[in-house]
Amino acid sequence: MSSPALADFLDASVRSATPLLLAALGETVAERSGVINVGIEGTIIAGCLAGLVAATVVGPNAALLAAGIAGIGIALIFVVVAIGLAADQIITGTAITMLGLGLTSTLYRVIYGDGGAALSAPTLSVIGIPLLQDIPVVGRALFRQPLPTYLAELMVPAIWYWLHRTQSGLAIRATGENPGASLASGISTRRVQTTAVLFGGMCGGLAGGTLVLAQVGTFTEGMSAGRGFVAIAIVALGRWHPVGVAMAALVFGMASALQFLFQALNLNLPYQIFLALPYLLTLLALALTRGVYRAPAALGARKAVRG
Amino acid sequence: MAACGSTKSAANDSAAAAPATLRVALLTPGPVSDQGWNGGAFAGLNMIHDSLGARVSHVQTKTPAEFDENFRLYGEQGYTLVFGHGFEYQDAAERIAQEFPRTQYVTTSGTRTSTNLTGLEFAFEDGAYLAGIIAGAATKTGTIGAIGGQEIPPVRRSFYAFEQGARSVNPSVKMITSYVGNWDDASAGKEQALAQIARKADIIFQNADAAGLGIFQAARESKGVRVFGTNGNQNAVAPEVVLGSVVIDLPRAFLLVAREIQAGTFKPRVISLGTASNVVRLELNPALRGTIPAPALLTVDSVTKLFVAGTFKAPIPPIAAIKP
Repeated sequence: MSSPALADFLDASVRSATPLLLAALGETVAERSGVINVGIEGTIIAGCLAGLVAATVVGPNAALLAAGIAGIGIALIFVVVAIGLAADQIITGTAITMLGLGLTSTLYRVIYGDGGAALSAPTLSVIGIPLLQDIPVVGRALFRQPLPTYLAELMVPAIWYWLHRTQSGLAIRATGENPGASLASGISTRRVQTTAVLFGGMCGGLAGGTLVLAQVGTFTEGMSAGRGFVAIAIVALGRWHPVGVAMAALVFGMASALQFLFQALNLNLPYQIFLALPYLLTLLALALTRGVYRAPAALGARKAVRG
Repeated sequence: MAACGSTKSAANDSAAAAPATLRVALLTPGPVSDQGWNGGAFAGLNMIHDSLGARVSHVQTKTPAEFDENFRLYGEQGYTLVFGHGFEYQDAAERIAQEFPRTQYVTTSGTRTSTNLTGLEFAFEDGAYLAGIIAGAATKTGTIGAIGGQEIPPVRRSFYAFEQGARSVNPSVKMITSYVGNWDDASAGKEQALAQIARKADIIFQNADAAGLGIFQAARESKGVRVFGTNGNQNAVAPEVVLGSVVIDLPRAFLLVAREIQAGTFKPRVISLGTASNVVRLELNPALRGTIPAPALLTVDSVTKLFVAGTFKAPIPPIAAIKP
């Protein structure tokens, strides 16, 4: 691969990885608190629509914030049902996904009519860091990206610090491992899980905002296209650790970019093979890294303890 | 039983207005806000409602199981005419049509017919061929691209015709073909386009429905890249980069079928519509017309006349010719 082609590939990898990383980091925090939110797809698509609507009113930067808030809003429903009423987390999450996809399609048509919004939203501009962006091959991928990419990258050490070096992070991890013991030691497990899930929702919303505001410039129904579920796989692949999750998201982004590149190279192979590539890699990586780390012990536990 | 009863009462209600009220349903594979394939069908349904006073219903379906279920549901409710909007509906329509002989099932891009099954074929490849002529003449890099949602026969045929059209004026032109894998992921559509642009493609033919919006966005962000829209007139979606659109006038085609049904003259068959019936046409974007080499425009005009006269057909790929 020539170096401009390699630079293009890395750039595409980072772009594809960014929404996945944001969503997966949020899901990591939620899962470390013992809650598996498979409704992340619903929060992403909510972020997409909120991002579009807000961008046309207040511009793309504030719209990113609106996307995060929309994600929190959807996650709040999950909190009420799965934590407040202690309903099954998987079923609640599945319902949230369907709600998000259906609600956004309906609202989109109510707001923009059957014709849609076309490419009307202003998008976030690329921020280039002087000098660093001119480094050959990797400069563009690392230092010439829109705001959400930098945000996602900064969140990796920030979430690590939060989970592993702060009191509230310890409470999150303790709740995810042993809610009974946490409760006995005076931690309000419900409050901890609520915070973690709402943070996850915000990240999902930001991921959706990224798709609209930094990439496509419009909303299309169902545009989240399964990224919420990929994010859940990335959390497992990254072994519930922010750094591992970041690496897993990048691997997935690279597999996607490789798929784009292979198709553009016009190799005479069925395109479905390339489309399956990112998922095959995920399965392979999950199988090979099995047993290195384990999931939080109380992950998905329904009404383990009242707190 | 309940469905049976409601059908009768519906017929009774409209008995005063002479013929029974026309009831028309539409199944689309994607959202009707895509400004293309699905949006055109929905506009057709609304036109049937407005022009013929029909009662209409629309549902978006994703999986073959949902195709069956909704075809059956409309059959049970006694709908007069049910459109399955796309090649992928044909198997389900053929199956369910046998159960409900009083309902006429129509599949767009369909090629089969029975006592109550109709195929509504479009010579979309005519328009794609014309777009290809322009692409072949206007490319500066000698590389053109085509991006589809999924590799289904109508899409493959349109890409083949586009390539052959380009070859007819520029024998050395190279074409790159990519598929998004679905019809919704606009972000992936954009990335497919950027990857093609990085491989020097400067004119891209998109046939990916909603995911195609990402392809327009990729062209807007890249220098000197132009795109062809498909199915609907997408020139206004991104007027600065869309050279033209290969339009299927779906409202016109749908209305044609519904009118025959209402008049009682309808006979199930494979209906082929193309350039001659003005259902398929290339609509150029006036804002960018000046950037197209003049000889290419003349060629487009003369080939269009051949299509209308029926003396020339756009070439179809060898495999599709054997098994449509």
